[in-house]
Formats: sequence, structure tokens, C-alpha cells
Amino acid sequence: MIEADSTHLWMHFWAIATAATVSAGSALVGSFLVVRRLSLLGDAISHAVLPGIVLAVLAGGRPGGAGVFLGAVVAALVTVWLTNLLGTHAGLAEDASAGVAFTTLFAIGVVLVSALASRVDIDPECVLYGILELVPFDTVSILSLEVPRALLAAAAVLIVLVIGAVLCWKELVFTAFDPAAARAAGLPVGVVSAGLLVATSLATVASFEAVGAILVVAMLAVPAAAAELLFRRFHVMLVVAVGLGVAGSILGYLAAWRFNTNAAGMIAVVLGIEYVVAALVAPGDGIVARVVSRESLRWRVACEDRLASLWRAEEGDAAALAPRTLLDRLVQARLVFGGRINRGGSGGLTDIGREEARVIVRSHRLWEAWLGRHVALPLDHLHPPAEWIEHHLGAEVRGRIAADLEGHEGDPHGRDIPPEGFPPRAADEPAP
Amino acid sequence: MILAVVDDPFPAGWIPPYNTLVVAAGVASVGFAAGVVGCFAVLRRRALAGDAAAHATLLGIGLAFLLGGGRRDLPLLLAGALATAIAALLGLVLIGRWTRTRDDAATAIVLGVSFGAGITLLSGITARGIPGSAGLGQFLLGHTAGLTAADATILGAVSLLAVGMVALFLKESTLVAFDPLFAAASGWPVMLIDYALVVLVAVMVVVGLPAAGAVLVTALVVIPPVTARQWTDSVGVMLPLAGMFGLVAALSGVAVSSAVPRMPTGPLVVIAASVLLTVSLLIAPRRGGLARWLEARRTVAAWADGRLLEVALRLDGDGPFTREQLLARAPGAAADSAFKRLVRSAALEPVVTRGGTHAWRLAVWGRELAAERSRRVAAWTEVLEAAREDARGHLTIDVPSPEAILGAARMKAIRELAAAERVAGGPRPGQPGQPGQPGGGAGG
Amino acid sequence: MTMSTTSAGLEFHDVTVAYGRRPVLWNVDLTVPGACLFGIIGPNGAGKSTLLKAALGLVPLAGGEVRILGAPLEQVRGRVGYVPQRESVDWDFPVTVTDVVLMGTYARLGWLRRPGPRERSLAAECLDRVDLADVADRQIGRLSGGQQQRVFLARALAQQADVYFLDEPMAGVDARSQERIFRVLAELRAEGRLVVIVHHDLRSAADWFDAVALIDMRLVATGPVEAVLTPENLRRTYAGRLDLLDEIGRAVAEGGRTP
Repeated sequence: MIEADSTHLWMHFWAIATAATVSAGSALVGSFLVVRRLSLLGDAISHAVLPGIVLAVLAGGRPGGAGVFLGAVVAALVTVWLTNLLGTHAGLAEDASAGVAFTTLFAIGVVLVSALASRVDIDPECVLYGILELVPFDTVSILSLEVPRALLAAAAVLIVLVIGAVLCWKELVFTAFDPAAARAAGLPVGVVSAGLLVATSLATVASFEAVGAILVVAMLAVPAAAAELLFRRFHVMLVVAVGLGVAGSILGYLAAWRFNTNAAGMIAVVLGIEYVVAALVAPGDGIVARVVSRESLRWRVACEDRLASLWRAEEGDAAALAPRTLLDRLVQARLVFGGRINRGGSGGLTDIGREEARVIVRSHRLWEAWLGRHVALPLDHLHPPAEWIEHHLGAEVRGRIAADLEGHEGDPHGRDIPPEGFPPRAADEPAP
Repeated sequence: MILAVVDDPFPAGWIPPYNTLVVAAGVASVGFAAGVVGCFAVLRRRALAGDAAAHATLLGIGLAFLLGGGRRDLPLLLAGALATAIAALLGLVLIGRWTRTRDDAATAIVLGVSFGAGITLLSGITARGIPGSAGLGQFLLGHTAGLTAADATILGAVSLLAVGMVALFLKESTLVAFDPLFAAASGWPVMLIDYALVVLVAVMVVVGLPAAGAVLVTALVVIPPVTARQWTDSVGVMLPLAGMFGLVAALSGVAVSSAVPRMPTGPLVVIAASVLLTVSLLIAPRRGGLARWLEARRTVAAWADGRLLEVALRLDGDGPFTREQLLARAPGAAADSAFKRLVRSAALEPVVTRGGTHAWRLAVWGRELAAERSRRVAAWTEVLEAAREDARGHLTIDVPSPEAILGAARMKAIRELAAAERVAGGPRPGQPGQPGQPGGGAGG
Repeated sequence: MTMSTTSAGLEFHDVTVAYGRRPVLWNVDLTVPGACLFGIIGPNGAGKSTLLKAALGLVPLAGGEVRILGAPLEQVRGRVGYVPQRESVDWDFPVTVTDVVLMGTYARLGWLRRPGPRERSLAAECLDRVDLADVADRQIGRLSGGQQQRVFLARALAQQADVYFLDEPMAGVDARSQERIFRVLAELRAEGRLVVIVHHDLRSAADWFDAVALIDMRLVATGPVEAVLTPENLRRTYAGRLDLLDEIGRAVAEGGRTP
């Protein structure tokens, strides 16, 4: 547990630094996994490396030493091999076969750890969620500074990953987005995949001590998925993912300190909150953005419908109804305020309002005419679709439809199609 | 050590027999039900969703513990676990519906974050030293030593209920799992049945927590069905078989774990299930590795034999031949062993020539074999001409008997078709089906 | 079981289907008389399958309605048979040919009841009709493409319907099996049933169907085959898609205006 003891501030600093470094590396690798739909691989490897680590430590390696990394990579390769084996011979879907492979390997790892707990300095349950708080106590002397060994290992892995990403950037991105084209272009797709596998193993082992097997999964997937929602360009997404990961680990550690609870778990929770926020506020297809877009469309449609009904009233159709619902009244008020409807007296259209209304009615009748000509619809079925589409036709498309209808005057009901207004610019201002 | 493993409440060596039996029965039911319910999860490719639900159970256990005022009441804790498990599944659905995030990343997110939340809560509870919290850690990896008879009875009852539901609605479940489109068009409430199946998986995950723990319980739901699938091609057999495998795995894991008290139960259950799977992958008939290897060898041998017979038949017309002459016309390593087989089965008999050299000729038996092979080749040729798609996948290099594969009635119909076509001089031009006619559609 | 000839077999009134907010079928208005072999043809991605699924209630309608045998789908589900695309199913599923054909009887059985001897003999009859009696106990993965298609057809026959909907039943099936399937469908027509088929190939359409509808995100033309498959119609449908509909569709999906 984290003690709220200021004399050990350095300890907290080291722990946070380790967590941040580990997050950065994981988010970096995780971005590639998420984009290539390989998050499952991250899940699998983070579990499967356990027996590799245990055996390497048994064979005399030190935790965090090179032997352990090697053991992890070997375990990862075994997992992939088993997954493929199960896929081809047991006829299993990929996720089920990976699931069988890595849970079995993980189970073997846990059994080994439990059975050999005295000889192996790994705690059975801590493999699940790490011991970030104790990381600062296992140090190595560098330049007369006591640096946690886990931090060094994580930093080394991060450097390797960054160098690898920079060197192979083009190949990585190309194979991520279009493996078939990449292969056709002669890129070594197999090598890249293997490299990704090794990178995931390295990131997993580096994270193991800090956050344990399962929370590595969160670190690999969540920052990258959140960044993906926010930015569509890959290199931006990658940088943002790393940023989110680092921020999440700092905030998570501090929150765990404040609430006196497990740091790794709290980091995962903070990352989850980041994801939810990203899903809400993402521009374009975030949840908030979509709700706003839907409501603003509804508003625009209501305003334009009101203008069009007033125009039809002027033409001689049935008089426009008085506003009834709250929405009607709000629309009326807005149109009056925006100078589209006369304030007092008849409450009819102003000149600007008439121009905008003309555009709507023109769109409506053009669409009816087009439908009548190109789609085998009976006459009484033309109005409802036009009611809908009239709000979505811009000037250029109207021109094309008109050109297509050249020579056929009037809409199918026999009414005139209002011409484009003068000047065309004013007629195309969007309704308020 | 942040979370302590529960202390075995009984002094070492003394376990009341009745208790053990009830616990064993409960665990057995859980294993059986997990295998049965898991079949549909695996068939519907929903294995990983169950994993996400499993990892979320920890949070529910912590919440239930707090809300229950610190009582370590198994049904209460499991109810909490079920609530968060279902919430996790809901989270998966929402992510799929409201964001661009894809399935694999969504599962990783729900799994990692919910597990993190669970760990956070449990460690927070333990850190504050709330009494009774020490036992919560066992839900991570499973520990059945603390199960009371009452608990085990509840687990067993829920498990049997789940199995009963599956058995009752077997046809509906199979239909929706196999062809949801057709089911929907027939008027079945596909979403309802689907969700019910998923909820059943969540229930089994929760019920399996004492035996296997949150991290590994999905293995109990996934591995036995996969194992059962190796042995049968029928859902009706696969379900009880998966149940049996689950039962054996659960019991074995628990038995070994009680012999080694410090070992958590979950990993042992998983290893037991995997051992069963590995053995099945090897020895299962038809689908197993051993069976496939033997079958491949048999096919290659049959092909080599047939080829050699063919050559022998041709040579035989000119009198006896030597082994070298025969093998010269049928090169390849397989021909050598084929020769030995033909000699052993007396298809080829030795002849002493005038020069005293060792020669061979086709025995009567060999002649019959060769004739049968030619007949089959001719019959398959007819099938290929008149009903090509029937040959697809069935005509293998060992030239099996077409009547055995396609059925006597079908062969007769094909023969008639082929004969009619020969009389008519081939299919009429302009009809779909004439080779080369673009309207005929590419072959299946 | 013959059907009344007074009500039209299938009517689409102004049917619009959208995936999300984006329209993929625009205002399809189509009436299919009863007792014929009716083809729905058009280029890839034109919405032919979507039209079928709209009729079966498998995709929601953004506008319009569908009537089958003069009534909404819910009232006549028991009289409708369906053969989905082959790819929609995992053929490694552990069921036999007979198991699949029996699924056609499930709707009539309702909840909880198991298929009994009557259903089994019906299944055997249907298998006989499509020439699959020999493989009745085989697991479905071990069948050829044409055989798999015929299993689906047998299942639909077991539904004992008055209107049959088939989604690309001839896709990936060799010519001889196509003929076999067609013969069964012609029998259904002779029995007075309506058979509606989404078909991918123009040339065989002329040979097989009594009437067709040409679909390319909208109904281009409908009627007897010779009247519909004119060079003019085909050019309008196949030569160059209507970018206009694409553009407008995109604008609708985004809630804005086209340029």
C-alpha cells in the first residue's frame, strides 16, 4: 500500500516515473495492435509470458535481466504457434484458440510460481496486478544515483521500441493499413508481424513488475483506442496515445496514493475514464457530437419547414398553421428574430425569408420531378420523400437535377418549380 | 503481499467426509454446467465476451461486500459479481454501438478497466482493514477449500438450473446459434434468445468463480466444448460430452488443489481441461491428429498401390516382368513399399523364367483389383462429366468406390444422365450449363 | 396449398431502407403478382438483398411498408419461406443435413415442442425432392457448395410456405445444380406459389424468370423479362452508378447539404 509519507517522496517519484515509462512503451506498441485489430495478441502475450519469465528466473536469470526478456519472447512465440495449431487442427475460431492457448500457459505459469514460491521471487497474485509500490526499493546505482531497476529496464525497452518504430516507420504503417497491398509491394510483412510480436513481449515484460499481467492489457489497448477515437491520422494518434498513457499513469498513481489503494488498478480505472471521455467528446463521431448534430439537424429542418409552409401559403395553398408546440413557437421566434419573418401584422415572410423558402420549395419540387422521371413511383408517393430530401440538396446538385430534367417543366403535380433566386449566394445561406 | 489468501478454516488433515462430498458434487455440477453452456458461447464465437465478463466480477464482489456490511456471504458476493458481469457485457454492446472502436479492442478495454476497478476496490477494502476482507482474494484464482456445504449446494442448484434451461430450449438455442437470419425471418425473437444465452454464460462464469477464479474461469467454459467438438459432429452429443469434460476438469483441479493447500484452484482446473483437450486432439477418431496422420498414410499408400497395379496391368500383357521394369515405370519412393504390399497381399506372384531370373506377373487377385480400380476411375469420370459438383471433395487420390460415397441411387441417376447426354451429343448450346457458356456460373 | 389469386403476392409501397442514417434503397414501389418466378436483379451492392431482407423484417424500414399476400409480415409469417445466402452461416457447425431441414418445421412447432415423426417424414420428403436423400446424416460441412444450397432449399420447403424468398441461391453453384434448383422452384410455381429470387446473373434471368425487377438503389424498371431487360434500362442500371444518389445519401447521413 502507498504510504502518505512525505519523507519517501523520492520513492513516489520513482514509482511514477516507472509507471509513466511503462505506459509510454505500452501505448506505443498498443497503437499498432489496435490499428491492426491485434488487441487480442496483446491480451494473449501479456498472460502467456508468465511461464517464460518464471522459467528464465529459475534458470538463474534476474528479474528484469536479459534472460527474462528472452524467456518472455520464447513464451510469446509458443503462444502464437499454439494458437495457429488450434486454429487449423481443432477448427477453432481465432479468438477461442488464442484464449485456450494463453490461459493454459498462464495457468502453468501460476502453478510454477506457487509451487516454487520459495525459489522464485515472484508472488502468485502479484503477477496479476504488479507491485508498483515496491519498485523503488530494488535499485541499481548509476552515477551515484539509486535508480529502480524496473525503471531502467522499462526505459531501455522504451528506447528500443522508439528506435524500432522510427526506423521501420513506413513499413509498419503500410502493413498496418493494407497488408495485402504491402505484401504485393514486396514489403516483408512476415518480418513486421514478428517484430510486432517481439515488441509486445518486450513491452509486456517491462510492465510486468509495475502493473502485472492483466493491467498490461489495459495499458496496451485503452490509450490507443481512446486516441483512435480522437484523431484519425495515425502518427497523431500514436503521440496522443502515449500522452494519454503517461497522463493516466501519473494521475492513477496519485489517485491511488490519495485513496490508499492499489496503484496499478487505479491506473487502469483512470485510463478507462480517459476512454469514456474520448468517446463522448470526440469531434465528429463522439457521442456528444452526434447528439448535437442530430438535434441541430432537427432544428434546421423545423425552421426550413416553417419557411416553406409560409411560402406555399403565399402561393395560394392552404394558409400556414399557427405555431402550436413548443418547438413551433421557438422556431417562429427565431425566424422573427433572424429577420426571416415579419415581426408584427401578418407574420409573413420577409424578402430574405422568401428567398430561403424559395430554395426549399425548389429543392422539394425538383426532387419530386426527378423521382417522377427516374423512379417508378406513383404520383401520391412523391411528396413524403421530397419532404425529407428537400433539406439536403445544395446548389450544385440542384443545378444537375435541373439540367437532367431539361425540357420537362413543372413538378409532377403540375406546379411551377421556382427558379433559383437572385443573387444565388443569398438564396443559399443556410436557414437559421 | 497486498491481498492475503484465505486461511484454510479446517486444521490440516481433518475434513468431514460429508462436507467433502457435497462440495465435490457442487463443483462437479458447476463443471458440467459450464461445459454445456459454454458450447453455445464457443459455437457463437463469443468466447472472449465471457472473459471480459469474468474479469469484471471482482468489482461486483467488492461492491457486494461493502453493501452487505462486510459479511462474507457467498450468494451475496456472487450476486454482485453477476451484476457487474452483465454490466461488462452491456459495456461491450454499447462500445460496439456508439463508438468506432472494434471488437477486439473493446474486449481488451472492458476486461482491463473492469479488472483494474475490481483490484482497486478490493485493495482499498483490504487496506482499510475491514474485517472479513481477507478472504476476498480467493476469487482471483479460485480456492475451494473454504466452500461450505451450503454454498456448494447453491452453486450446484444454479448449475443444474442452467443445464435445464439449455436442455429445455435446445432447439431454439441451436437454431439461433446456427442461423440467426433464418430464425429472425421465421419469427423467432433472436435478440432475446441471444441475450439469454449470453446471460447464461455470465451466470456460469459467476458460479465458477470459487472453483477457478475470475482470471481463469472462462477456460472452464471454453475448453471443454472445444474438447467435445473433436469427438462428435452432432450438437446433441457435444453438449453432454462437454459437460463431462468440464466435470472431470473441475473435479480434478479441486482434488489436486486440496492436496496442495497453497496452490490456487483455478490454474489446476485449467491445466486439467487442457490435458483433456490435448489428448483429444491427438486421439479423437477422424478429427484427431493421430487419426488424420493414419488416414493420410493410408490414402497415399492406396494411391501408390493403385498406380502400381495400373502399370503392372499394362506390362502384364507382354508377359512376366521384373521388379526393376515395374518400378521404372512408376517412379517414386512410395512405389517401393507399394510393391512390397502387393507382393504380400498376393496381387503379384513370382514366376521363374527360363533364364532363372526372378520375375513377376499379376495374379488373379491382382487382376481383379486392377479391374476394379479401372471401373472406379471410369465411374468417377462419368460423375465428373454429368454431375461435377458431386465429385467435389469426394474424389480423392485413393479412388474410393463412388457407390459407397454417393449412394447407389445417386450413382444410378448419374449414369442415366451421362448416357442421355452421350445420346444427345452433349448439352444443347444456349442452355445454362454448357461448358464455356458465361451464363452458367462458375463451378461451385 | 394454393393461394388466393385476388391479393397480390408481394407489395412494396414506397420502401426506403437506411443503414444508420444513410439510405441504401430509395422509394421502391413494386407489386409482384402471385404464382410466378420473380427475379430481383441488379449490380453488386445495389440493394437487392436489402430489399429481400426488408420484406422479411430483417432490416428496419426508414419509410414505406411491405405487404405479403395482402397483409403485413407479422400476420403471414407462417406462410413465408426463406433461403438466405450461403455465407451467412458457419458450415462447421455440428449439425447434420436432416437437423438443418428440420429447422424449417420449428416455427410451426413453437416454443419447447420437439420435432416428432411427422416432422421427420416431412424433412425426408423435402430432402428427396432436392435429391439429397443420400446425405441425410452427413454433417453439413462435408457437402459441396451446390449441396449446401439445396439443404437450405429443403429447409425452406419444410416451411410449407406460399411465398418463398431466396437470396442468391445460384451463387457459387455449378450449372447442373443450378438447373436442379430451378426445376424445384418451377414446381413450386406450378403449385401456385410465389417465388421471389435475388439473382446475380443477367443472362440466366432471361431463361428462368417470368418477370423481374431491375434494382439499383431504386427501382429502375419492372415487368416481364423482355420488357425490362432492354439495352436502355441495362445501360441506366449497369453502366455507371448514379453518383447523385450516392452524394445525396452521404449528405443525409451527415445531416448536411450536398455541395
